[in-house]
Amino acid sequence: MSMILKIAKTTLVVLGALGLATGAFNAAHAGPYDAYKGTRLVVNFPAHPHYNAVMKVLPEFTKETGIEVEVDQLQYMKMREKQTLELTKRKGDYDLLAYVVFSKADYVYADQLENLARYFMNPRLSNPAYDAPDLIEGYVANIGIAGGHKGYLPGPTGSMFGLPFGSETSILGYRKDIFEKHNLSVPKTYDELLELACKIPQLEPGMGGLASRAASGHHASHAFLLHLSPLGGRIFDDAWNPIVNNAAGVQAAEALKTIVDCGAEGSRAFGFAEAGASFLQGRSAMFLDSTVFAGQVNDPSKSKVVGKIGWAPHPMGVRKGSQTGGFGIAIPKNAQNKEAAFLLMQWLTSKKADKLIALQGGNPSRYSTHGDAEVNAKFPHMKTFGEALKNADPDWRPIIPVWGKINADLGTTLSKILTEGADIQSSLDGVAERAKQIMQDAGYYTWN
Amino acid sequence: MKSSSLNKLTPYFFIAPAGLVLALGLLYPISYMMYASFLDWNPSQLIGEADWVGLKNYSTLWQDYAFRESLWVTLKFAFSVVLIEMILGLSLALLLDRNMRGMSALRTIFILPMMIAPIVVGLMWRYMYHPSIGVFNRTLNSFGFESIPWLSDSTWALISIIIADIWQWTPFIFILCLAALQSLPRSTLEAARMDGANAWQQAFYIKIPLMMPVLIVTLLLRLIDAFKVLEVILVMTNGGPGLSTEIIALRISRTASEFRELGVAAAMSNYLLILLLLLTLSMFLYNRFIEQHRAKSFNAIGKTSP
Repeated sequence: MSMILKIAKTTLVVLGALGLATGAFNAAHAGPYDAYKGTRLVVNFPAHPHYNAVMKVLPEFTKETGIEVEVDQLQYMKMREKQTLELTKRKGDYDLLAYVVFSKADYVYADQLENLARYFMNPRLSNPAYDAPDLIEGYVANIGIAGGHKGYLPGPTGSMFGLPFGSETSILGYRKDIFEKHNLSVPKTYDELLELACKIPQLEPGMGGLASRAASGHHASHAFLLHLSPLGGRIFDDAWNPIVNNAAGVQAAEALKTIVDCGAEGSRAFGFAEAGASFLQGRSAMFLDSTVFAGQVNDPSKSKVVGKIGWAPHPMGVRKGSQTGGFGIAIPKNAQNKEAAFLLMQWLTSKKADKLIALQGGNPSRYSTHGDAEVNAKFPHMKTFGEALKNADPDWRPIIPVWGKINADLGTTLSKILTEGADIQSSLDGVAERAKQIMQDAGYYTWN
Repeated sequence: MKSSSLNKLTPYFFIAPAGLVLALGLLYPISYMMYASFLDWNPSQLIGEADWVGLKNYSTLWQDYAFRESLWVTLKFAFSVVLIEMILGLSLALLLDRNMRGMSALRTIFILPMMIAPIVVGLMWRYMYHPSIGVFNRTLNSFGFESIPWLSDSTWALISIIIADIWQWTPFIFILCLAALQSLPRSTLEAARMDGANAWQQAFYIKIPLMMPVLIVTLLLRLIDAFKVLEVILVMTNGGPGLSTEIIALRISRTASEFRELGVAAAMSNYLLILLLLLTLSMFLYNRFIEQHRAKSFNAIGKTSP
């Protein structure tokens, strides 16, 4: 009896050892995700059309990798407050977070985001087939990189802290039917754009030319900046002196005023939503703003202009320059599962997932997705967007911590120009003067 | 310890929990805010990492034209809404203080606006003020009048938010005045009536003077509230056009979340707190003065009467 037991025991031990050996063998040849199977990642995404598309694709990631993802979706204006609190904690709840582009200045400066170099250097984590050059350059520069030129742009001293995900640029939408009816050609330059914007209300009484944001604050400022870059202007020169009040700045403000004056009724108080609604309801003939809007035009529940919209690149002034903005994804310094989070962010921005998300109505981050036949069959405007993105300007607005304050002042001043007829030159002089003071207080002239 | 001194301490034991709650719930946050107002603190820092800047936040605010303008907007807004609401609320109360059929249903309808969430009130009014689909402009147009730029002109925008606030908060004054009216001593009113006082005389010489303590408290409550109103304006105009409707509460919220200057926001809140404290104190003193005055004249009457 004892003999039998002994044999049984030995067999078990041998079998166990064999089992362990097989396990070790397997580990040596394991897939990149095996070590993280069963990990539960907590991520923070905004409630936004792109991320709604992402939600439909996420189960695919879990199926492929065994890593589970719990998503905390927040209204995007609220996100920054919550993240700021989360990031100052010793142990954070979020493993990955989507951030609005201007948060880059704050989070990176406060040393709250992981530098991605050590992940891309890690052969176990970094996928050689990732094809980073395929990521849209303007987006990467604007959203992902910090520490280079001017501190917020790429350059020899810069490095990567996030990947563009749910980014957007500006694009011109126009009513094909109205343009055909009056034999108008799609504006390629600012002169043509401004002329058309005021001609359309005469040709089509009751219809506004171009639906633009103009509401006091962020909206007015955003609309102004859209015109500033193509017209050759900037907020600051390379020595941080405000130049918003130079000839190009005045021209951009004049352009905005012309557009708003020739806009639909009530256009002085339009925010992004109202401007969009005016275009979707057929009360404006053109729309120049974020690509994120494109998903709605052919949705009959929101739009009265289904099938009537054409798209063209942002018209050029002295240069081509569409906006860059939207969201990026990054790993917080205080995250609990950083490596698995990197695998998720790499997967989400991979060619495969980028296409899957685009097919669900998201904003792709890669050139290849914009040129993809399947994506274009479903969304014919994608090709135009891809072309427009080659001129995306990562420096169309400064991404510095004090920007919020300067932006608010610029926005209220522009609102006064638009609604109270304040003098453009002297108003912008005021903005420049106050900006100079803010920059002085923040230490930007320490080296002067 | 002697039992007598223990006895003396007993009341303090009973008050202690309340005192503790007060200290934790009220004094701690306020002193935290006071402390923060002396710091250059952005939300990405822990409070311990923020730099001490002394009174800088307080002094720079006075050089900030946006703050001065928003303070002026707040004063204009608060005093006009409270004045108009007091007149309307009091008149309504005087009118409706009688036994009519369906009175209680009417009263409930009157106080409905107060019960609606501020965000909803803001949205509702924003759509009513809408330049093309809003009910006001459509009505004006149908009578052949020009549209009014309700929210897109700086003068009209302030008037528009004042109208919305009056609509929402007049019922509050109405209901307090009505309660005060109904608790007035009937004998005094009867005496006045028998002496031949007409309705106007009753209102101005009997009812309103007797209601004064309630009116003052109501006025104060509304004034404090009007200085702090935020959501309705946030939704309707977000402070625009320009800075024409940027009341101080909105400025504070933007300073903290948009400009990320928690120290400056705290200093602004302290200015608001001081302003409200001064208002409350002056009301309180005025009330005491009136009461003493009244007590004196009452005593004088008592002494002269046989």
